[in-house]
Amino acid sequence: MAIIHDDPGRRRFLSQAVMGFGLLFGMGLLGLRFVQFLVPTGTTKRNVPVLLGVEQSLPLNDAITMELGNHKLLVLRTNEGVAAFSRRCTDLGCLVSWDKRREQFICPCHQGIYDKQGRNIAGPPPRPLDRYEVVNRAGQVYVNLAT
Amino acid sequence: MPSAHSDTDLVKVDQDRNSQRWIAYIQKDLPEHLDWWPYTLGAIPLTLLGFLIVTGLLLTFYYVPSPGKAYESVEFITEEVYLGWFVRGVHKFSVDLMILFLLFHVIRVFLTRAYRTPGEWKWVTGAIVLFVTFAMGFTGYSLIFDNVSYWGMTVVTNMLGALPIVGTPLLYLLRGGEEVSDNTLLRLYDLHTKLLPVLLVVLVGGHVLVVRLIGFADVAGSRQSHPFYPVHTLLMGAVAVGMLLLIVDLVMIFPPTLGPPADLQEVAADVSPPWYFSAPFMVISLLPGPVALWGLLGGALLFVVYPFIDRELARRGWPMGVINATVGTIAIGALVILMYLDTQM
Ligand code: FES
Repeated sequence: MAIIHDDPGRRRFLSQAVMGFGLLFGMGLLGLRFVQFLVPTGTTKRNVPVLLGVEQSLPLNDAITMELGNHKLLVLRTNEGVAAFSRRCTDLGCLVSWDKRREQFICPCHQGIYDKQGRNIAGPPPRPLDRYEVVNRAGQVYVNLAT
Repeated sequence: MPSAHSDTDLVKVDQDRNSQRWIAYIQKDLPEHLDWWPYTLGAIPLTLLGFLIVTGLLLTFYYVPSPGKAYESVEFITEEVYLGWFVRGVHKFSVDLMILFLLFHVIRVFLTRAYRTPGEWKWVTGAIVLFVTFAMGFTGYSLIFDNVSYWGMTVVTNMLGALPIVGTPLLYLLRGGEEVSDNTLLRLYDLHTKLLPVLLVVLVGGHVLVVRLIGFADVAGSRQSHPFYPVHTLLMGAVAVGMLLLIVDLVMIFPPTLGPPADLQEVAADVSPPWYFSAPFMVISLLPGPVALWGLLGGALLFVVYPFIDRELARRGWPMGVINATVGTIAIGALVILMYLDTQM
């Protein structure tokens, strides 16, 4: 079997290339591990229904804010039923509040405005407010939270 | 041992010659145009950086980077520590003035096109210094942990999180979790007091070194004139003392204050950041998120590589002097208008 290109230069180049690649790979992996050290691990999510109360006991056309787990919510009862929104503005994450007089959700950070259905109608927010699923079981209102 | 003796002698001579070279190098006469104040604007931020390091070190002795204690410790510094309000005030005004004079410096360089070949790297290193200084400003005012800081942290980290690919990891890296939390403050503290200052000092050193190596820009009719030491050094000393006096006066007239503490349940009614962020703040208020983000990033990138753009366009015969004057005027006008809008909101 003839080895045609067996000159020392080529051999040195190849061995150096392999070594260099290996070192680089090792260093990269090491670096990645350090980054992982800095990024805490997330927890797995599952849905948990939480009882809010009797539907009729919620104020009509007035949103109430609440904090369940680490979710900040706005619960609004209108004639169409109960809706639960995330308070987190879809623009850059400030907390929206309910303006009773204008019947709108207002974000103070950059004047984002959402209507009663949580649709973004003015300002920088790119999409409607996130909604939580609301279940009504015989007049009792539950909200589904992912925790 | 005569041979050893002469060896040390030789080393000594060598050292002498070396230090002579260094002295000669530093002593290289400065061009005449450096006597005119617009050409001295770089030395002022440099001086202020010195003030910032000294006062910053002092502040770290009292500041506690934990969400429960941060605000209290700033309050303690401001109200109880002997001259605490003063040290904090000097720190605060130094950064305000540093950014102001960096901007003046940039404007001067831009208008005189002093970044032209071979000065591109002077500009690039300087531009990065400017951005790192902004990052210092942001991390710094986050540490106060009043309501504006807290929501500023949320908004800025969210913005970075909106970047494609690197966004989410970066968001986690900065926040140390999904939400702005105890970890976030600690991380911003580490950035503000460790990583960024080292980076800033290295970059500023690099910038000054590059300026020294490449030399000052050629200005028509400017000859070599005074030596660096003592004439120019004394001048810089005078500027430093003048700055110190100005800052001391400013601190006494406007002592540092504190907003209401961070409220995780309610956004502050007015979340306007410090003046040097009010222009980008208005941009993100007026434009939809992605457009604002890409606009700001694109603008920053254009800014860094501007000398290369200038070179390319000038080669094609564009009148860059006129263009720069126009671009400069429009940019400054836009900044002022945006800042004004911010005060109106
Ligand atoms: S964070 Fe709500 S409008 Fe920007």
